[in-house]
Order: sequence, then structure tokens, then C-alpha cells
Amino acid sequence: MSADIVATEYASPYEAILARHSFIELSARERARAVLDADSFVELLGPFDHLESPWLPLQGVVCQADDGMVIARGTLDGAPAVVLAIESAFQGGSIGEVSGAKIAAALELALRACAAGAPVLPVILFETGGVRLQEANLGLAVIAEIQAAIVALRRYVPVVGVIAGMVGCFGGMSLAAALCSHLIMTRQGRLGMNGPEVIEQEAGIEELNASDRRLIWSMIGGAQRAATGLVDTLVEDDSAQIVAAVRAAAASGKPTQVRSEQIDHYLGLLAQVDPQHIDPAAMRTLWQGGGAPRAAGSGHAAEAASAASAAPQSTARTRGQIWLEALAGASVTAAPIWSGTGALAGETAQFFAVVPDPAQRFERARDNVVGLEQGWRLAQAVRAVIDADAGVDPSRKRPIIALVDVKSQAYGRREELLGLHLACAAAVDAYASARLAGHPVIALIVGPAMSGAFLAHGYQANRILALDAPGTMVHAMGREAAARVTRRSLEALDALGETVIPMAYSMQAYQQLGLLSGLLEGVDADAPGPRDIEQVRAALTAAIADARSGPRDLSVRLQSAAAQKNRAASIEVRRRLAQQWPA
Amino acid sequence: MEQLNFSYPASRPARQRAHVGVVGSGDLEVLLAPLAGTQSEVVVRTSVDGYGQIWKSVLDRFFTRYDGAARIEINDFGATPGVVALRLAEAVEVSES
Repeated sequence: MSADIVATEYASPYEAILARHSFIELSARERARAVLDADSFVELLGPFDHLESPWLPLQGVVCQADDGMVIARGTLDGAPAVVLAIESAFQGGSIGEVSGAKIAAALELALRACAAGAPVLPVILFETGGVRLQEANLGLAVIAEIQAAIVALRRYVPVVGVIAGMVGCFGGMSLAAALCSHLIMTRQGRLGMNGPEVIEQEAGIEELNASDRRLIWSMIGGAQRAATGLVDTLVEDDSAQIVAAVRAAAASGKPTQVRSEQIDHYLGLLAQVDPQHIDPAAMRTLWQGGGAPRAAGSGHAAEAASAASAAPQSTARTRGQIWLEALAGASVTAAPIWSGTGALAGETAQFFAVVPDPAQRFERARDNVVGLEQGWRLAQAVRAVIDADAGVDPSRKRPIIALVDVKSQAYGRREELLGLHLACAAAVDAYASARLAGHPVIALIVGPAMSGAFLAHGYQANRILALDAPGTMVHAMGREAAARVTRRSLEALDALGETVIPMAYSMQAYQQLGLLSGLLEGVDADAPGPRDIEQVRAALTAAIADARSGPRDLSVRLQSAAAQKNRAASIEVRRRLAQQWPA
Repeated sequence: MEQLNFSYPASRPARQRAHVGVVGSGDLEVLLAPLAGTQSEVVVRTSVDGYGQIWKSVLDRFFTRYDGAARIEINDFGATPGVVALRLAEAVEVSES
């Protein structure tokens, strides 16, 4: 993977600058038009189709007629293409039900075309802060669907992503970007999982000062991302350069291995990182193959040991630990990923849980959260199951059960610098690949299933089950943080959830979105007895059979009566886009 | 958020539909589509409540010069009257081109 600046020769730097036509300053529609061949641009589901957010008016927010998403068909160097351009000026490019469904639906149609032997090249122009908080759970759900479509589509054609700036690409969409076959970025662009403000809010200003722009761009800006191979091409903010880079990426075909599949490579690099002394320059040296600049006497084993002894040893077991032992016995792997096998109706299923890791080298990831090691190790563990069953008939591939008890992704400076978005994308990729290979993948929510952590661990499952118990929850942002960010009291936030279902925090409300295959009532989540365990095993067994009988994509999530009612917009976007899609 | 409705007399059909602007800070989106008959219908959705009279003034002035029959939808995110007038003029320019 080489990072190079596509450059034209000019007599003076001023001439070069004057000759540029800024891409950043273009609207989403103008960007899509610029990328496609001249006069080939045809917009689908445009403003006059009036597919607006059904959730914003309920909260007194003015809609945009295209929900801030432009879908354009046309040609790229003569080849059929679809460009998805996010309008950052509307709600910060945030992903709501409609805007997200427009991306997912377009990618799904491109996938169908590719599978039918008529390839359509997808190009995604990322400019987004991630989930639109006013549509919280539906934004998160649709991002999982976008990720599923990218992984499936990438097997046929290169999926090209562009991060031009100035918003950048954050949240669940940073994982979507990391799943792309090729990424193109400007120096002005930023790519990371948690935005700087979110880290400052969650971890404190001593972790990251969100107003220190120089520091932030040095960590997650385009130049650093390109220098460390986390994006493929660095371009100037110039339409011609960006278009040339998109064409070159599309023409270069599918890479043999995308970044999110290079698990051993990235785990190897991470192992050389000294968390106490890593900074953007040290990361460049390491990532460019320069070896570990290590301070004398700072052995990792010693650090880990001291961390373990210093960390308070909590005696309370987490739900993930409790249920892994209940269903699969003692873990065969050490924290942060517990794993084991257990019998389900006469066959062996593979269970995974993310558990607290008091000895974790990255101190922001010692709880049951998804950090760098958690993401890559989940990916490694899931890929090992895929590899072990590679020659097995699809009908007998091992079920994979993700026991979901994850409080959040890790919020930290080092996490962003070292590519947490990619680590989480690797886990997304592995779970989605397992599902596509024919493994029944079931998520069982036994605790919190929060935000990017749930995307990485569970949201790619064929079927999602949840315990109806105190403490189980699915959401894009913690309740307290969401109240702070949307400037509401906790009471006002809860009241809003009564009318705006995707904003609600209860599992009963989540069930109304049609994303769950089952909500298991009457199970003791903290101290399961034999009857509780049997009930859960029976539900898992039924979900596995159901998954095997259905398609390997996530389309089942739109088929329930609940989805017909509360995800009507997601369904309508797909129906109308299919009508407009050129044959 | 507030929704306001206005109608104005028209003497000819608008030529073609036009979309300009974005629902971003201090800006607005205008959708103009030809309408049968001799009336123009305007629907304003604005994030700022209580400025109905200002909207009426801006639109009254706009319709002293524009005589097309159109359905005009405005999604406003706090644009000033000057920006509103410019966006309306831009929409007409695209529609007539």
C-alpha cells in the first residue's frame, strides 16, 4: 500500500494553488457530478422525491428534502458507477434512517447488479460525524446495513471511499470507510472513530484537548493516515486530483487483501507499540517498518503486570463472563476476549464475549469495551472459525454466538491515533464474512450493546436475540452523554423516547424497530439457573435454524410487522430506489 | 419549528423545476416546481419561530417580480431575509434557464 501525492508540475507553488478547484467547497451534489463522467450524472431519489426524515419533525427540526444524501448513477471512465455523496452542511452529514437507507439501498442494488454479472462501481464520498443522534438507534442499525453491503460488494468490485473534509469521517461511518477497498483523503480530512470533542467529554481534557487543532490533525488528519497506510492515496483539495485518484482506484481493481483483513500485520504492529511513548511520529516510524522506539526498561510485560496489580480487582462478574461460562464453560482464551464452545441441539457452537481486562496495556480499554486489541482479537478469533470450517458444507458450518455486553468503544487519544476505527472494522468484517460464508451468526444481548462496540461485536449477526432484563440496552450513545450533547435533561430525553422510538433506551422500544428476532423474558441475567440457561439455549437453537433457512444478508431485519411499521421509511427508500435504478 | 403557508396570483406556468440551497446554518433550501393554474403556493418550514410577518414581506416583494405558477417549498435553517431573497432569485434563474 503506497501513499503518494498525485501531483502536476507547475512553475511556482502559487500557480499550482491558483489552478486548483476546491472539492471541499463543493456541495454533495456538485461533488457527485464532478466524480462522474461529464454529462453522465443522473440523480436518484432526489429532493423532489421528498424522502425526508420521519423523525426530525417530531423533534422540531427542519428536514431537508433529500435528507442530506445524494445518490447519482452515471459512468466512471465509461464504466457504470454509483456515487453516494453525503451533504455535510445538513446536520453535519449525520446518518439518519433515510440518508443511511439511501446508501445501504444503493449498495444493495449495486451488489445485485454485480452478482448478475453487470458490475456497478460504488464510490462513497464520506463527510459525516456518524449516527444522527435524533434518530439514534435507526442510524446505528442502518450503518450496520451499510457495512454489511460494503463487505458483500467488495467481493465483486473495488469499493472506493473519499474523505475530503472539512467534517471528516467519524463514528460508525469511519468503520464503513475502513471496510472500503481503496480510501482517498486530503490533508484537510480527518478519519477516526470518536471525534475529538467526544473523547474530551468522555475521557477528560487531559486525555485530549479537542481545541488543539494541530495535535488533532497530526493524529487523525489525512497526511498521517496516508503516511501510516491507513488510507491509500493522499490528494490535494483539488477536484481534478480527486477525480483522477477515484478513477485510478476503480481501475486498479480489488486489492488481494483489504486493510480490515490484515489481522496479523496490524496485531504485529500493535504488539510493538509502547502505549506510554506512542505519538504520531513514533507511529509513523513503526508503521513504516522502522521497528519499535522503546524507552529503556519499559518492557511491556512488566507494565502489564504492574497495571494488573494496580487495577482494583473487581469481584463482580460481568454479564458477558457469566453467560460465556453458563453456555460454554470456562473460557479457553484470556481477557479481553473470552471464548469457548458449547453444545446446542447436538452441534457445537462457538461463543465469544468481550470481558474486562485489568492488565490491558491500553488503559482506556480495560473495561468491557471494544478497544484496539479487542477489535483485532475478535476479528482473529472469528476468522479462525471461518478458516477451520473452510471445507465444511455450508449447512454444517459452526454457529457463532456473540455474547454482547459492551459498554462502548474505547475513548482515548492512543486509540484514535492507532486506528481504532480499523480495529473495529476488522471485527465487523470478520463477523460479516462469517455470515456470508454460511455460518449462522447470532448475537445474544446480555448487557449493554452500545454504539460502535455493538457494530463491532454483534450487529453483523444473521439474528439478534436479547434478554429482557435490567441492564440490557441498545443505543448509539449513553443516556447521560446523549442528554449532554442534545442539551436535554435526562427526564426530557426519556420522555422523548416515548414518542420517538429510535431515541428510547428500553429493550421493549428497541424491539418495536423490528431488529430483534426475540426478546427473552423471565431470564435471570445475573445468576442464571439451569432453567434460564435451557431457555436461552432453546432460543439460540431456534435462531440458528432460522438463520440457516434464510438468506445470508440482513434483509430479514426489514420483514417483521414491527419493521413494516417503524422502519417504513427504510423500506420505502429501497422500494422507490429499485424503481428508479437504471437497468 | 414553524410552518407557514402563502399563496400569490400567477400569470403563466413556471418553466421547469429547480432545487437550490441546503438546510445548513444560516441557509435554506428552495424547491420550485411548476403548478397548474393561476396561483403560486408557498410552504415555509423554518427553524426560527415567530417571523411570519418578515416571511410575508420577503415573499410579497419576490412576487412583485415573479409571475410563474409554482409550488415553492422552503426549508429554512435560520437564513436572513437577504439570503432568502438571493436563494429565491437563484431558484427562479435555474427554473427559467
